[in-house]
Amino acid sequence: METTRPAKEKKKATRLWLIVHSWLALPLWVLIFFVCLTGTIATVSQEIVWLAKPEVRANRPTPDAVPLGYDAILAAVEKAEPGVAVSFISRPVKSIFALDVFVSYPDGRTRSLFVNPYTGAIQGVGGVFDFRYFMRALHGWLLVPFVGATSWGWYLVSALSIPMLGSLVTGLVVYKKFWRGYLNPRLRLRNGARIFWGDFHRLAGIWSVPFIAIMAVTAGWFLIQHILADNNITVSTAGVPPVVAREDVPAEGGAKAPWISLDRAGQLVREKFPDLSPDFVALPSNAFSHIVVGGRGAYPLIFETANVNPYNGEVEWTRRVSDRSALELVTESMRPLHTGDFAGLWLKLVYFLFGLLLTMMVFSGMMIWLKRTALATAKLVRDINAERALPSVEGVREAAE
Amino acid sequence: MTGVKVKTNPHAGLPGGRHRWRFHLSVLLLVIPIVLSPKFFREEALFFGDSGLGQRELGEKAIGPWHVHVAEYMANAPTDQGLAGHMKTFAIRWNAEDADHIKASYFRIGKPRSLRAAGVVLSGGPYRQMADVPIPERVKPTDALWLTVEGWDGTVHQAAIPLDEASPATIAWLKQRGETR
Repeated sequence: METTRPAKEKKKATRLWLIVHSWLALPLWVLIFFVCLTGTIATVSQEIVWLAKPEVRANRPTPDAVPLGYDAILAAVEKAEPGVAVSFISRPVKSIFALDVFVSYPDGRTRSLFVNPYTGAIQGVGGVFDFRYFMRALHGWLLVPFVGATSWGWYLVSALSIPMLGSLVTGLVVYKKFWRGYLNPRLRLRNGARIFWGDFHRLAGIWSVPFIAIMAVTAGWFLIQHILADNNITVSTAGVPPVVAREDVPAEGGAKAPWISLDRAGQLVREKFPDLSPDFVALPSNAFSHIVVGGRGAYPLIFETANVNPYNGEVEWTRRVSDRSALELVTESMRPLHTGDFAGLWLKLVYFLFGLLLTMMVFSGMMIWLKRTALATAKLVRDINAERALPSVEGVREAAE
Repeated sequence: MTGVKVKTNPHAGLPGGRHRWRFHLSVLLLVIPIVLSPKFFREEALFFGDSGLGQRELGEKAIGPWHVHVAEYMANAPTDQGLAGHMKTFAIRWNAEDADHIKASYFRIGKPRSLRAAGVVLSGGPYRQMADVPIPERVKPTDALWLTVEGWDGTVHQAAIPLDEASPATIAWLKQRGETR
């Protein structure tokens, strides 16, 4: 058996993969660069707000101060802002952040209040411009408005998962024996731009393989998710949203029936499900809706919720990890895997670092192409000049045809 | 073809050539968020209630002893919600002195036959409640949007807002649908 021929064919195949690799991202490189960059910023947008706005920080008044319960928070907000209607209280996962308390004012405006978890003091009011949501919208759907459940911007961005996954696979095929790069990292700084960007692209690439795979697969799910939604296909097992039975709502008395307290609702949920931490509580949104207590359980990627009847305290409905199908556990893990917001600040910083690397992968890929084709063009010009002196190879071929 | 050996171009098939500038044209896609950002911020202002209860405010309505502001949340045609049919979102705001007397409010297009069939129950705080109201298959442009309100005192009150006042965009959409059928 000849040994040269398979090697030659292998080389030809590698070349084909290089061509595919080059075409995958290059025609849209500015958009992909932009999406990677805004996504990288979005990962740490909450921390950026924390640095920029002191009012979202949870400062302890004394070292031994303990966080207040939901009832004390509710009372403090209603005392400071008489007449507001509180709809939702959320205790951010990271204890350095103030509580988010969603309220509506009698004039119809809704706002998020930043409340100190130890004192109940309203430290600030969120505005209409929310940096976190803005970065998310810019990254996720290029601010294209949603009509119904979808936005074409969402399709445009999530479809980039296809070239991203393709770039990852073809990149590893083209980079011969890439595993050697882990043991012998090479980043030549003094051999010109082409060499530097090439080394950077390969080195950053091999170290980002798991991260790029996570981003491409989760973003691919976002694409599939919206295709399913647009075609009315659901994988949800949640069923019909629960309501409080009409006979449970007190009818007599002529005045608004009182709800059980929020701390009591949290306690009732805790008694039933000791592993569910009550990270947020939603107040009933009408006479027939529940107090919803939710938070992370044993599996940190998915929020679990329990619905408590506000009149009799029964835990009437749950949406826990065990209530979900295996497929839902996979699909609902996609978003936290994409954002990295489930293990604390350290993971966000890891995501931020690899996000920067990925952004630079797009840029370095473009730079390699730019430098390579610049050389090729210079060579082409040389060849054309040479051909003018001699009858060209092309000319001979054309004459023969 | 005789034995003329054509030297292969090392860059054959790779992007580039004489039209390298074309590969930077994707920068034009960044015009999308720039052009759409005013609309984005308008929708945010609507979402936070800063630009009012909805895009088309229908003013204050008396319903029994109480007073309520009603608005068409977005002044566009009903949105296709798939299996759930077409939907329109309407919003209300109770006056502060009435808020505590209201047990539940419902919207329905077409007159409800009973309290059990009063339509979709509104959700949200008393100063900003909303509901996605389904557009029935056999709705006529002369129909009305019915608001049914149940008080904690046990009384039930109703108010009808003609559809051409509640949502002209829905009337236009109904006419168009009638023509295509």
